[in-house]
Amino acid sequence: MNQRDLELLSSYLDGQLKSSDAERARLERRLSSDPNLRAVLDDLRAARGLLRQLPMRKAPRNFTLTPKMVGKNPPLPRTYPAFRFVTALATLLFFFTMGINFLAPQMASQAPAFGMGGGGAPDVYSAQEAPAVTEAPAEEPSAALAPMPTPTPAAESAPVLTALPPSAEDTARSAVETPAEKNAAPEEGLQLDQPPLPDAQPLAEVQPPVAPVWVVLLAGIALLGALVMLLMRRLAAERWRRK
Amino acid sequence: MDEQALIHEAQRGSLDAFNTLVLHHQDSIFNTALRILGDDDLAADATQEAFLSAFKSLSSFRGGSFKAWLMRTVTNACYDELRRQKRRPTTPLEPDTEDGEEMDSPRWLADPGLSPEQELEADELEHALQHCLDNLPMEFKTVVVMADVQGMDYSEVAIAVHVPLGTIKSRLARARLRLRECLQGFTELLPASFRLEEGSSA
Repeated sequence: MNQRDLELLSSYLDGQLKSSDAERARLERRLSSDPNLRAVLDDLRAARGLLRQLPMRKAPRNFTLTPKMVGKNPPLPRTYPAFRFVTALATLLFFFTMGINFLAPQMASQAPAFGMGGGGAPDVYSAQEAPAVTEAPAEEPSAALAPMPTPTPAAESAPVLTALPPSAEDTARSAVETPAEKNAAPEEGLQLDQPPLPDAQPLAEVQPPVAPVWVVLLAGIALLGALVMLLMRRLAAERWRRK
Repeated sequence: MDEQALIHEAQRGSLDAFNTLVLHHQDSIFNTALRILGDDDLAADATQEAFLSAFKSLSSFRGGSFKAWLMRTVTNACYDELRRQKRRPTTPLEPDTEDGEEMDSPRWLADPGLSPEQELEADELEHALQHCLDNLPMEFKTVVVMADVQGMDYSEVAIAVHVPLGTIKSRLARARLRLRECLQGFTELLPASFRLEEGSSA
């Protein structure tokens, strides 16, 4: 009995050899004359018969998947993105108006001619040289890096603002663009004593640009939106669990 | 809803549709795992793992026999389970299985490793069969379980095991012969009429 015969017998048993197949006719001839071959076929048939008799056991439990098992989140209502957008916008506007109301009095006291555009400039530079920029108008942070400049070197890079006193923008630019050409400041102590510009802050007299009622309203919308979103998530999760 | 529609729904993310398919196939998948692993708990773990893996890779199902595709996932899960248990898959009783002549040798039937506990357990035909299945190499076992226990046809088994049809035929033939020889050690358990019936079972 070789491997080839064994495979042929097994396939023959399963009806895999077609009746038109010459191999099948040859095998059947051999089977009728070779008792050993017949014995192997009987053995294979017996094995298959026993395996087919193996009882099919019932699954011990249901193997259905839960949303948690597949890492699925409960479906949120269609209106959810709208609430998310409104809440995000209200939050953004709230902080924006708060910022404006906070900065406006300071700006007004610094330079009446200083428009909103000028106020934005320090923000741009703060990304590059945050400490130098933010502290620049109030007091000179580091003499080595940015000694108290006269407006002259800054004028090269910011000619438009030369007429103004050393504003935040000027100082920042000089700190960023021309730190190398500065000499070490000889009078550090003096600079610290130098009175910064916002010495007079008439906070009480300046009206905030955005009415406080708007700020409160925006805060209210943001809070309400967040609450509604939280509620939506809770309800969706509960409905999902009950499913 | 027919199976194709359920598969389509499940592929679009419907867990309900997939769970309907699970309920329909869970018995045969569990039984396949049970016969391959020979242990209820391991088989349950492998079945759960197989369905989870099937759901996650459902997009790779491109039609054909869904049962064969599921069988493939459960076979992989069984391999993983065996690896996890650090259990040797099977011990081939004859190392040189490629040689056809070796198949005639009944030496391996002696099975000296059967402990008294195992003997007690094997007092039923089912246990005897499982014992013989456990002694088959993994690749033989998966084929014979799918073809003879599950009644799948050759092409389905070829898809499930991911080997050519010729290899399926070869493995099935050798597995059946080995099982038959192994079962001769349990003749007292075999149904008395079995030899008479076997002639008509073809």
